[in-house]
Amino acid sequence: MKNYLLFSFVVTIITLIIILSLPNLLPVRKLKIYNSDNELRKDALAKGMLSVPKDYKELLKIKDNYKLTREKIALGKELYFDTNLSKNSDISCATCHVISKDKKYHNNAILNGLSSADSIDERKNCIACHLRDESGVDRFSNAIGEDAKEDPFHLNTMTILNSSLAKNLTWSAKNISVEDEAGFSITSIYKMNMPSSLLVKRLKNSNIYVKKFNKAFKNNSGTDAVNFLNIQQSIGAYVRTLLTRGAYDKFLDGNNSAISATAKKGLADFINLGCKGCHVGMSVGGQVIKKFPLKAFFSIEALNFKTPFVSSNDDFPFENIGGFLGKDNRHLFRVPILRNVTKTSPYFHNGSVPKIREAVSIMGKHQLGIELSDTQIDELVAFLKTLEGNIVDYSKDGK
Amino acid sequence: MAGIYIKIFMIIMFITGILLWNLFNISWKYYNALQAFHILGSLVIMLILIIPFVHRHVYIYGVKKKVKSINGWFLGFIFLLITVSGFYLFIVGNRGGDIYGNYSYYLHLYGSFILMFLFFYHIKKSNTKYVELILVLTVSFYPHLLKAYKTKLILLKIDNNISKYHNEDWTSSAKCKVCHNDIFNQWADSNHKNLVDSNPYYMVMEGLAGEVEGDEFRQWCMGCHNPSAVTTGLKKSTHRMHRNFLANTLFEKGAQTLQDDFKHHKNSRLEEGVSCVACHRITKIDSYGNASYTIDLNRKKYAFEDSKSDTGQWLSQKFINSKPKIHKQSYSKNIYKKSSYCASCHDETSPKTGKKIVSTFEEWKKSPYNDAKNPQKHKDCVDCHMTNLKDGKFTPLKGTSTSGGEIKKDIKVHYFSGSNYFLAGLKNKKNREQTIQLLRTSAKLDVDIKNNQVEVGVKNVGAGHSLPTGVADFRELWLDITLKNKDGEIIFSSGKLKKNGNLGKDARPFMKVFGDKDGKPVGLLFWRYEKLLSDTRIKAGQRRVLKYNIKDKKKIKYPLHIVVKLNFRIYPQWVTDAVQKMYPQLPSPDVIVLNKVIKSF
Repeated sequence: MKNYLLFSFVVTIITLIIILSLPNLLPVRKLKIYNSDNELRKDALAKGMLSVPKDYKELLKIKDNYKLTREKIALGKELYFDTNLSKNSDISCATCHVISKDKKYHNNAILNGLSSADSIDERKNCIACHLRDESGVDRFSNAIGEDAKEDPFHLNTMTILNSSLAKNLTWSAKNISVEDEAGFSITSIYKMNMPSSLLVKRLKNSNIYVKKFNKAFKNNSGTDAVNFLNIQQSIGAYVRTLLTRGAYDKFLDGNNSAISATAKKGLADFINLGCKGCHVGMSVGGQVIKKFPLKAFFSIEALNFKTPFVSSNDDFPFENIGGFLGKDNRHLFRVPILRNVTKTSPYFHNGSVPKIREAVSIMGKHQLGIELSDTQIDELVAFLKTLEGNIVDYSKDGK
Repeated sequence: MAGIYIKIFMIIMFITGILLWNLFNISWKYYNALQAFHILGSLVIMLILIIPFVHRHVYIYGVKKKVKSINGWFLGFIFLLITVSGFYLFIVGNRGGDIYGNYSYYLHLYGSFILMFLFFYHIKKSNTKYVELILVLTVSFYPHLLKAYKTKLILLKIDNNISKYHNEDWTSSAKCKVCHNDIFNQWADSNHKNLVDSNPYYMVMEGLAGEVEGDEFRQWCMGCHNPSAVTTGLKKSTHRMHRNFLANTLFEKGAQTLQDDFKHHKNSRLEEGVSCVACHRITKIDSYGNASYTIDLNRKKYAFEDSKSDTGQWLSQKFINSKPKIHKQSYSKNIYKKSSYCASCHDETSPKTGKKIVSTFEEWKKSPYNDAKNPQKHKDCVDCHMTNLKDGKFTPLKGTSTSGGEIKKDIKVHYFSGSNYFLAGLKNKKNREQTIQLLRTSAKLDVDIKNNQVEVGVKNVGAGHSLPTGVADFRELWLDITLKNKDGEIIFSSGKLKKNGNLGKDARPFMKVFGDKDGKPVGLLFWRYEKLLSDTRIKAGQRRVLKYNIKDKKKIKYPLHIVVKLNFRIYPQWVTDAVQKMYPQLPSPDVIVLNKVIKSF
């Protein structure tokens, strides 16, 4: 009996000591410390981080952009905002990939909306406030296509901004160009649901379009220039100009005061914790396909009466609405573009996570395998904020 | 050998328990860890050590050896009492509502001295005292044990060095619900809770302000409407989404969305709006309006208060209940009952023009209700706006503010009845009813017909400020008059609504009309107020007489029959029309009758 008591006592004490001293015993990861902003910039540039071109000449230097012409871009812009591209003529590209055709309008969208006599329909009343975000998405948790058809997998719209810089497009990570994707979006049943032959027929009926196509594709007469390939080419050309520049680009270009001290710490975290391993390139993402979630995360905090352990049956660390399982159902996803990420909530493929801090925390736990501290999340979010930017106006210079 | 450990632990538990006594007043930094250690430690020791030991001890000496030790039995009895009272304090708590909590507390405290005395008396034969002492000292100062508590369980932050708070610092109101259920429910459907995403008027106005004046300007609105967002560095207010739709926060009762958020995300999901903590952690006020208050979220926390696990939450609640004094102190201050406290938000100056838009506090200061020398007459904001109403009269609510807490004579109800019967009423009838009852105590009507004129007197009898106050350019208080002659023919009418829901030009509403720098009405952009175009509000205690000419004198055939109603509407229809464009699901506010006189002449 005595031994039993002694044994239980010793075991309890040892267990208590081990549990309570765990935080002190675990090794602390040492992160690289930068002594100056220039050093940080140098490291960032060395790791392949790039700023978005300031002018048209530089824009043309980006891979596959040599074919761009002013005419194609102008025609692409017309098409982008034209609702005739959908079967019911109810949506245009800009309905889901929300940007405004004219900045004058988006600066006064609420005021105009409130003072106009017509009622605003449900989709547009969100736009009244969100148009100024210039996020390139509708911010819904799932995409809504022509005739209000919802995406069968509850996948949400990705931002079109900077998408031309990505190697892979869409949630299922297709390795295609923006031109091809424009074609898919037009013909897909759950998107614009427009048969290519019908679209070509529609556009051929418009003299204005025929003229513009002839000009853009150097055709002298007739309507041959109006074909589906050229429609894709011109929309693609416009999408290739939808690049954004923000504080981050200014910092990379050499302006030390462009981003705050917190954001600089965030950038250092971003590089050193391993985020930049996947979110690479000028677009800060979109280049590689990775597994998500990569790691099951276990923490003592998750222990409670109801869910003793993180259930291994869960596909994602959030609600699995829509049942999408990534490319080939193998949990493979395109690493998302992080430019403008703070403007494109809700997060993840089915929009289950509404807040950026939560999204960052999930990425930390399940991709990096670390529980980010509140301060680290603050810094990372401050850095992500510097990736916000406005669409660069490439119309001003060069020919 | 087991005896030694029993002794060590008894001493440790005694010392840790005694240190919790008010007499020692040890710093909170150590207090909360010590409390957790004392309670959990006792529990563990009870289960694994003392119960088996007592069982064995009694068996050996009482049953086998048949030793008759009165002292032993007495010790056992006291020990039982200490255990029972300890469990009571832990499971039920000393919340003030039942006398048993109090009994337990004193029994546990004073009983422990008797216990220790008997304990040492019982074991005085033992000669291992010195060994024990050394062991006690080593174990209690075992470095890992204490260091771990400091870094993991007590998440202390130094307030002076904080530039912004984290979401986690903002304790969700849903957490308060566990013990303050009634108060939570009153607040959940009140206008204080619904100042941000569940208030379409606000969301549209903040968006508009941001668009017209630049996004930085939103901070002005957010200071009072959304302090949690301001202090966590958010630049604009956000709305909850449920998939593709706005979360149903407009009609839902009891802040269900907030409760669900708390259940799934704990404090990591920021609660926007005026939460429990937003008011109850204000430490300093300046009464200038425009959010002139200081919030300090660093308070004394019991162990596990910030835990994300249900077990931790449960434990922290038990720790609070076992000694709620610190909890009470950290959430309640004397200034909370003063009008100057409310003034930090209920006065409002436009940062664009420097003109006072809302001056409720100033109005009160000049009113007869501000009479500090005469406590009978003196009434602070809370005396009307946080006092329960029943059958149209102030009827202080008797009951408890904490479940199981002490019974108070006048619970300060958290309906925050003011004038917005509409938005609160969409959620809960009770909140609407409280507000309407309060509104009805404010004014009295008298009617006379003289010299072919209808004379209506309106007296502000109940409000300690002008009628209407607040955003007085958006409030409509007016007279609705119908005068019939002996044939039943309407010979005069005024204050009827037009078909589109707006007030007619004939109505003479009691309100302020703001003009911009050019003297044009400001419309929705009220912060551009520079010139006062008109002010027809009724000051506290004032009687206003309105005279209406009856034009068609031939039709005046006695007896005349008159119906006069004092009508109130929270927002003019044109404002609601604008908001409905963004929020089509928003119904139009109804007109309520504050007072009605039917008379024949």
